[in-house]
Amino acid sequence: MDQLVIQDLHVSIAEQEIIRGLSLTVPKGEVHAIMGPNGSGKSTLAKVLAGHPDYTVTSGSVLMDGENVLEYEPDERARKGLFMAFQYPSEIPGVTIANFLRAAVKARLPEGEELEATDYYAQLYKKMDLLGMDRSFTSRSVNEGFSGGEKKRNEILQMAMLEPKYAVLDETDSGLDIDALKIVAQGVESLRGPNLGVLLITHYQRLLNYIVPDHVHVMVRGRIELSGGKDLALQLEEKGYDWVKEDASEPALA
Amino acid sequence: MVKENTTLDIERNKGDFFYPETHTHDAGTGLSEKTIHYICDVKQDPDWVREFRLKALQTFLSKPMPTHWASKDLEAIVFDKIRYYLSGGIQPKRTWEEVPDDVKRTFERLGIPEQERQFLAGVEAQFDSEAVYSNIKKAVGEQGVIFVGSADGLKEHPEIFRKWFGKVIPTGDNKFSALNSAVFSGGSFIYVPPGVKVKHPLQAYFRINAENFGQFERTLIICDEGAELTYMEGCTAPKFNTATLHSAVVELVAMKGAKIQYITVQNWSNNVFNLVTKRGLAHEEAEVKWIDCNIGSRLTMKYPGVVMKGRKARGEVISIALAGDGQHQDTGAKMVHAADETTSNIISKSISIGTGRATYRGLVHVPKHLKNCKNNTECDALLINSNSRTDTYPAITVRGTGNAVQHEASVSQVSAEQIFYMQQRGLTEAQAMSLSVNGFVNDLVRQFPMEYSVELKRLIELEMEGSVG
Amino acid sequence: MSNPSAVLEEKPAVAPRNVGILGGIQGRIDDKLPSWFTDQQRAGWTQFESLPMPSRTDQAWRFSNVSLLDLAPYSVAPALPDADAHDILERSIDLDDVSGRLVFADDHFLERDVISEKLRKAGVIFQPLERAMLEHEELFRQHFMSQPAGLGSAKFAALHEAFVRSGTFLYVPRGVEVDLPLETFHWLHSENAAIFPHTLVVAEELSKVTLLEHFRSTDRSRAGFACGVNDLIVGPGAKVTYICAQDWSDQTLSIQINATTVARDATALNLHLGLGGKYSRLESLSRLNGEGAHSDMLAVSIGDDAQEFDARTLQDHASPHTNSDLLFKNALNGRARNTFGGLIRVEPHAHFTDAYQKVRNLLLSDDAEANSMPGLEIMADNVKCSHGATSGQIDDDEMFYMLARGIPASVARELLVGGFLNEVLERLPDAILTAKLEELIAEKFARRGR
Repeated sequence: MDQLVIQDLHVSIAEQEIIRGLSLTVPKGEVHAIMGPNGSGKSTLAKVLAGHPDYTVTSGSVLMDGENVLEYEPDERARKGLFMAFQYPSEIPGVTIANFLRAAVKARLPEGEELEATDYYAQLYKKMDLLGMDRSFTSRSVNEGFSGGEKKRNEILQMAMLEPKYAVLDETDSGLDIDALKIVAQGVESLRGPNLGVLLITHYQRLLNYIVPDHVHVMVRGRIELSGGKDLALQLEEKGYDWVKEDASEPALA
Repeated sequence: MVKENTTLDIERNKGDFFYPETHTHDAGTGLSEKTIHYICDVKQDPDWVREFRLKALQTFLSKPMPTHWASKDLEAIVFDKIRYYLSGGIQPKRTWEEVPDDVKRTFERLGIPEQERQFLAGVEAQFDSEAVYSNIKKAVGEQGVIFVGSADGLKEHPEIFRKWFGKVIPTGDNKFSALNSAVFSGGSFIYVPPGVKVKHPLQAYFRINAENFGQFERTLIICDEGAELTYMEGCTAPKFNTATLHSAVVELVAMKGAKIQYITVQNWSNNVFNLVTKRGLAHEEAEVKWIDCNIGSRLTMKYPGVVMKGRKARGEVISIALAGDGQHQDTGAKMVHAADETTSNIISKSISIGTGRATYRGLVHVPKHLKNCKNNTECDALLINSNSRTDTYPAITVRGTGNAVQHEASVSQVSAEQIFYMQQRGLTEAQAMSLSVNGFVNDLVRQFPMEYSVELKRLIELEMEGSVG
Repeated sequence: MSNPSAVLEEKPAVAPRNVGILGGIQGRIDDKLPSWFTDQQRAGWTQFESLPMPSRTDQAWRFSNVSLLDLAPYSVAPALPDADAHDILERSIDLDDVSGRLVFADDHFLERDVISEKLRKAGVIFQPLERAMLEHEELFRQHFMSQPAGLGSAKFAALHEAFVRSGTFLYVPRGVEVDLPLETFHWLHSENAAIFPHTLVVAEELSKVTLLEHFRSTDRSRAGFACGVNDLIVGPGAKVTYICAQDWSDQTLSIQINATTVARDATALNLHLGLGGKYSRLESLSRLNGEGAHSDMLAVSIGDDAQEFDARTLQDHASPHTNSDLLFKNALNGRARNTFGGLIRVEPHAHFTDAYQKVRNLLLSDDAEANSMPGLEIMADNVKCSHGATSGQIDDDEMFYMLARGIPASVARELLVGGFLNEVLERLPDAILTAKLEELIAEKFARRGR
């Protein structure tokens, strides 16, 4: 059961249904991209998977390796191996990245087990080297005063440290210029492997030039309307989203 | 609730226990000239002290409650129901063995003898009105450092004591300094001779054990030319059903080039009115630094001050206040520049949780014709949830062209998005909250000596528990 | 002036006796005015007598030199001789293009430039209040003195209520935008005259208007007392810009009480320019009453000799998603004193409030004094609030740079002070208004130069 399975998911915010019967399976080792126009519910999906309190799941399930994660608090989901890279990562004044990550790593240890500071730093520096990050980065407060690119790199560093089973990357390319985009994409590529399933949410195709997905799904009005290989992304780039909408069997919001 | 906890961790409930009273001296309830005479007789005060007290009583009675600017909660203090003097004897002991068992148990439970062994140069422990234990390490004593209770100070060292007593904070400074001047008992008298730098901190521990009691200790510290001292005080009281009053006066005198650092970790139970006047006088090139941390009490009103009297004197106040449910931390700082090239710095951080209220009041005064004086004030408030409240009321006066003064204040809060972000990384809501709050105060906590900063962080974490949701 | 006044043809029924204002309002009540108004005057006097004079121990008067508040010398002045009135009218032009203009001297209404037929047809009212209270009684009464003075001057507000007899009523109906500014002049003329200028602006939903008021003395050596109230009521989505250019003689005692209420999505901008006066107090309150309300509170004071400026402000956030931004700048020379006491209050439930408060003092002499009491009272969640107060002096390097370029010290100072104050004036939405205020400031500098 090494897969993330979303089954007939319905989600509302303030009585309005945003995700309307979405189903999707992401096996470990694969990268799936979800593309879609603005307002299609892509970012909502990311937040719901992570357990954001603003959204109400009205029906459906999300099984991670066979276990329904919807029953868990956000932090429990995270500790079970679900990672979300935020579109807009929060700033946490006064808390350094080193201390923050240490608390997060510690939270994953079995009770009674201590985190050796030297092991932790060795691990942290290894990951930073891998991502080509400067050591001084860790003594800065989490995301405070970071540029768009720094924020996203910080998200990837955290992902590298926390070693999730499944990662949801929400609009990771937003706010990045082309150089920053390449660096972030390389980071994600370097973490790709048989033990990680990735759900990549993006509005633009350009990210997919650097992170080549195994599958591409098109999300329109709260559900997956079309799935295909990586070529689908190119088609979308060329033709836009309108033709998918025309093909969509369901009418717009009832 | 008595907590069966014998470890050395200081925590909110750690002080919440008490032993039956065994006082041999009790001035009864209420305040009159008779009370003053009783205290003077027991303490065998010299005549000038008796006169000083009686005059102060008149000042106290004539002054109105400062409710025109301060909290109306002050009206809840019923002066007639307070017991102004309670002791089991007036001679402090030099060794813990001599201290009566029940009192000794109290301080052992609070970890004082242990701390003394570990990192202190001297300790004074006050139980209700009088010091029960007072000791200074031999090596420090041999350097000529005097560390005794205020009663001993005024009798044994009148030439130094009288010169400065009541000079930094006159009786009539405010209603509560007048009250203290009338009924003061306990507190420390410290004198550090010229050039002596006391390496380890001296500590005083103030303990209220009796209900309906008012503790009025009086501390006077003089650091002679070039001398240096760090003094720490801690306070706890059990949580009685009725309110308790603590009203201290602390005067510091730093002679030319001297440095005094005064650290307070106030953790009174949540029904103590903590109304304290603290001020330091800094002579030429001297430095007075107050590090003030208020976690306990029902209402604290305390604005440590520095009068910079000599050229290049420095004053500093570092303040952390944590206002939990039902608490009001009304704290701040006063900086009076009275000579050229004096500099002062105020950093205040407050956290309001639940129905807690944190208030900052500041006064910065740079009078005429002074040159090159600088003040910097930063006060930041953190709100944890919607019932909490924070206020900031500084008053800044500057004259002349040679001085620079700046004040910045901000209010922020721990947002739901911030907490969610941290939860997504696997931290529980409580861990996330605690991390944010520690991030807010971290740079200030670092200013405390190691032993205290660890303790402080733990205290803050404990306070935060269950504060969200 | 193309439209001579013909508002109140009759002289007041009872000629005021020549006694000071502390003698009361006996014999000063005009029976032709509505009884609710005269009742209010009597109640105001009773109130004035019952309230104590401010004392420095009142928080609202902390640092104020209350000994300057002796009202005994001042009395209500009689109507002006025609020649004087004529002179004053000649001097009562500041802006070239206005939508309308009203001129008052010693609280006597002199003349007005009527508003255009178009505005009149649209329902705009711009009248002296003694006329408005007769012609638009309901509307006027609804708003007149409807805001209590909460920043310390309740006693002076009561005195104002007792003695008020002229001023401006400006009403802009729903959706009407008055393009050109309106302008008024209040002159102090007779020695020791007491005046009580009143301004009431009511801007209905989605309307827009700008009012510039001048407070001046005909003779800069004469003493006087001005106790004014200006209330701005800004309806939903409306935009009101109000500027008060205070340039009384340096012998004048001045108290100005402002209350501005800002409704949903509305914007209010208040700017107070303080140039004259011996003691000049401004109390300004902005109450943000609906979501999306915004208030800018701006002030510039330039103190000289023994002038004292005393400003007390309140940014009162009563609704969520409101914002306010206060910027007060003071340049102080001679023995001038400035006191600022300001509070941002965010009421419970006024979440998502942004409120800022900044006071900057520039001390130009060793005897100048600045007192700052910025304050915050935050009772809501999700707020962004900050305040800052700084006091400093002209930067030596900047000064030297200018001197090195051959600029004389006095000019350099003026330039640097001007630069310091500009940040405030530039926040006005109209460059013409900014330029006019800069002219007034330049005049003050020129006077000092003499």
